[in-house]
Amino acid sequence: MVYPAALSVGSCAGLPPIESELFKRPLRISPSSSSSSSRSFERRAKTKEAAIIRSVSIPPPRAVAVDSNQLGSSDPPPQIEESKKYYFVVANAKFMLDEEEHFKELMSERIRLYGERNREQDFWLVIEPKFLDKFPNITKRLKRPAVALVSTNGPWITFMKLRLDRVLAESFDSESLEEALACNPTDLRFEKPENWVAPYPKYEFGWWEPFLPPGSNKQKA
Amino acid sequence: MAAEMALLKPISKFNRTPTFQPNNRFKTSIIRMSSAAPTKPKKAAKAAIKETLLAPRFYTTDFDEMETLFNTEINKNLSQSEFEALLQEFKTDYNQTHFVRNKEFKEAADKIQGPMRKIFVEFLERSCTAEFSGFLLYKELGRRLKKTNPVVAEIFSLMSRDEARHAGFLNKGLSDFNLALDLGFLTKARKYTFFKPKFIFYATYLSEKIGYWRYITIYRHLKANPEYQLYPIFKYFENWCQDENRHGDFFSALMKAQPQFLNDWKAKLWSRFFCLSVYVTMYLNDCQRTAFYEGIGLDTKEFDMHVIIETNRTTARIFPAVLDVENPEFKAKLDRMVEINQKLIAVGESEDIPLVKNLKRAPLIAALASELFAAYLMPPVESGSVDLAEFEPQLVY
Repeated sequence: MVYPAALSVGSCAGLPPIESELFKRPLRISPSSSSSSSRSFERRAKTKEAAIIRSVSIPPPRAVAVDSNQLGSSDPPPQIEESKKYYFVVANAKFMLDEEEHFKELMSERIRLYGERNREQDFWLVIEPKFLDKFPNITKRLKRPAVALVSTNGPWITFMKLRLDRVLAESFDSESLEEALACNPTDLRFEKPENWVAPYPKYEFGWWEPFLPPGSNKQKA
Repeated sequence: MAAEMALLKPISKFNRTPTFQPNNRFKTSIIRMSSAAPTKPKKAAKAAIKETLLAPRFYTTDFDEMETLFNTEINKNLSQSEFEALLQEFKTDYNQTHFVRNKEFKEAADKIQGPMRKIFVEFLERSCTAEFSGFLLYKELGRRLKKTNPVVAEIFSLMSRDEARHAGFLNKGLSDFNLALDLGFLTKARKYTFFKPKFIFYATYLSEKIGYWRYITIYRHLKANPEYQLYPIFKYFENWCQDENRHGDFFSALMKAQPQFLNDWKAKLWSRFFCLSVYVTMYLNDCQRTAFYEGIGLDTKEFDMHVIIETNRTTARIFPAVLDVENPEFKAKLDRMVEINQKLIAVGESEDIPLVKNLKRAPLIAALASELFAAYLMPPVESGSVDLAEFEPQLVY
């Protein structure tokens, strides 16, 4: 179940060997009548240039290469001693956790997928992250408390920036996960919407808890 | 594509059918599905081919212009990072194993009887047609852009994968009602609405986003009110509509890569026009089918207004201007359009000779046009992506 993910990261990072190796794997056709799989697969093989297009802005090759290691195998990635790149989008907590309900759906969808494919989690929600101190240009434009979505997968954060739009995106290097995801304890409280007209209830307060950095769950509970 | 957009009449002189050849796999499944119900498929196809002003449309576009727009040789500065990020998302294929049916479907379908059965079939047919139209368009774009922009082309192909899956799943739903849509026949027989690329961007963006909001709203409503869960297809909507939402994001990225479609007064006028067309089409369509929405426990107008308001908020993240749909006057105008439309339908169904019908229609059409025009002229809301918008420096995140 891992190969599509590895394939995708591989192509973004420009790693043709991964692509060609994966190409030898048998095709998987979905149970419903997916008509394009086989064709697009053939084409992927023919057009190598799809894999070596150079990325323009966010993902610098080094960091993405680390990603592909991490996603492509089920072994735990080497987390210690090595400095890793962390990408994030940030906005005020109300926007991230209360207003943008499709964001909750994307997070749940992704964690479900990681479970199905035995991928190690590489994305977290950090409430009032300490790393913001390094970004005065961001903090001066930010309502507090703030919430960041942090991931080692650069292209995914680029996607989340595209989706959420009203967020600021940046990246930083960190030597350990704990340091990267360190946060200042904060209590969140959202006013109930004055005028909730949707024909369904809001997602429950606290939906984000499974996505908080390891360790902070206990604190919350 | 889960929603439709149809206030624009198809250009009938545009007779060229896109050179689409259904993939063998797809064809086989159609034949198999059709043969499962040997007596009905012809009838189903015929019913679906009835072209009305508000029927789901098949789109086609100027593929040569598309090729030029996304040619990485011609546009050396074309920012590819968002496309590459999207390609990763589409390759991840979140719903690879989602669309698996079970025996609940047939059992539920057998329990749906009386007028509701017809309404359900119509819902499945329209949804299937809308998804299938997305499949055709994206498939062709994937094919045509392969050389000039392989990343964009592959995204189109992967989106056509999603649409084929959705259409196939809906068509299997029809088989629970002993029907099947002959999609090969539809491909050839339907009229294609031609849109220039920039209009395809506006129209399909809205179509995908409104599709997301419709599906997620139905899903969440039924989750809270399971007694209205008449047919298990709705349980699939939560994951399903994430595909629609991502497709919409891709059109955002396409437009951001062509900022000339977003940054002038013409873009603002077109944005408002397409918003209005899509919202009005849905409202009029759904108000003709209140039995369906009431059947699953929704108030049609409340449902539609919720979908319109949310779609409009989403659209404000990319279109340079959107409509002030939260102004009560907007809904009042929609409601008047529904009344006029009902009178128009009544004229169509009357026994009058064609000349009399047309005479009766004329003032109603004028009234509808004037409502539309007034809604279009309501003061708009300035909007847009923060990556492009002039108001960005004042924004607090």
